[in-house]
Amino acid sequence: MSDTQWQIFEVFHQQVRGEPHVYVGSVHAPDPEAALILAKEQYGRRQASVSLWVVPEDAITATSYEDVDMFDHGTDKSYRESFGYETTKRIKSIVADRTESRGEA
Amino acid sequence: MSTGTTFSAAGDIQGEERSALIDLLYRLGDDDLMIGHRNSEWTGLAPILEADIAFSSMAQDEIGRALSYYRMLHALGEPDPDTIAFTRAAAAYRCASLASLDRSDWAFSTVRQYFYDVATTRRLALMADSSYTPLSQFVRKVGGEQKYHMMHSRMWVVRLGKGTDESRLLMQQAVEKAYPHALGMFEATEWDAVIAGSGIGPCEADVEASWVEEVAEHLSASGLAVPTNVEPTYGGRCGRHPEELGCLLEEMQKVYKLEPSAPW
Repeated sequence: MSDTQWQIFEVFHQQVRGEPHVYVGSVHAPDPEAALILAKEQYGRRQASVSLWVVPEDAITATSYEDVDMFDHGTDKSYRESFGYETTKRIKSIVADRTESRGEA
Repeated sequence: MSTGTTFSAAGDIQGEERSALIDLLYRLGDDDLMIGHRNSEWTGLAPILEADIAFSSMAQDEIGRALSYYRMLHALGEPDPDTIAFTRAAAAYRCASLASLDRSDWAFSTVRQYFYDVATTRRLALMADSSYTPLSQFVRKVGGEQKYHMMHSRMWVVRLGKGTDESRLLMQQAVEKAYPHALGMFEATEWDAVIAGSGIGPCEADVEASWVEEVAEHLSASGLAVPTNVEPTYGGRCGRHPEELGCLLEEMQKVYKLEPSAPW
């Protein structure tokens, strides 16, 4: 069977306001408005959604899997990662304290 | 004009208002059951996967609404929903012919659904303040779902109406075929004045007037001609149905009738 001549739109949905839109899949549609309408039933009918985005597939510029080695970490650079910082521990302990004191109140 | 009385539950409504409410609920439930069944026939067959999923999912919405109306009827002393849905003879159903006609081609099913969605949207809006509380609560519950149905069918009409010469022609033929049956949705029953007078729901002429206006506007915007001087196809509201309903019922009731006491 020949493929539809409609464009492919990539679909992103957001479960809660303020949270990031997460990629869920794609739909075929003649235009963005129709893509939103079709995506709603495709991806919104079984999971909670507050917002959908559709993006024409050809609007996305992607890296090539041939270049996957560019993501390699050749040497130990864990000092650049945030969990190494004392600040992270301090924030965690403040949050824990607040949660605790709220529990007592 | 409404008398201002509110009926908060099945036990609060008696006499002719009760009979009028029962008449209305059978019409609403039967319309949804039949069009839901017809649309479900597209499952696996719609022109593209996305349309298939959307149409099938909305068919389930319609059947879900039928169940809600049948539950309201059951609370009013009518048989249980399965008995109402699956055991009546054709003449006991109160659906408009629009809802029971064969699914035909995609253009017809699309136009039929659009006509039905406009009527449903208008009807629900006019029942939002129904004096029968279970009905006004139901309207609030399905408002969002119906908003989506409306967006979906408006989208299809304009895309196909303004698509290719072939799609426009098929849509125009579908409009001509469905229009008299669509007007048949507004066939007033003997209870029309009581329904409006008690504030349970709108009189059919009001729903029709607002339907005609909206449909004319959207068909024109979609490059389609609006039929004029159309003779409505009446009969559904008093049990006179097209032959197609008989075939639909035969299929729909077949499994249930094998073993009516089977729990599902």
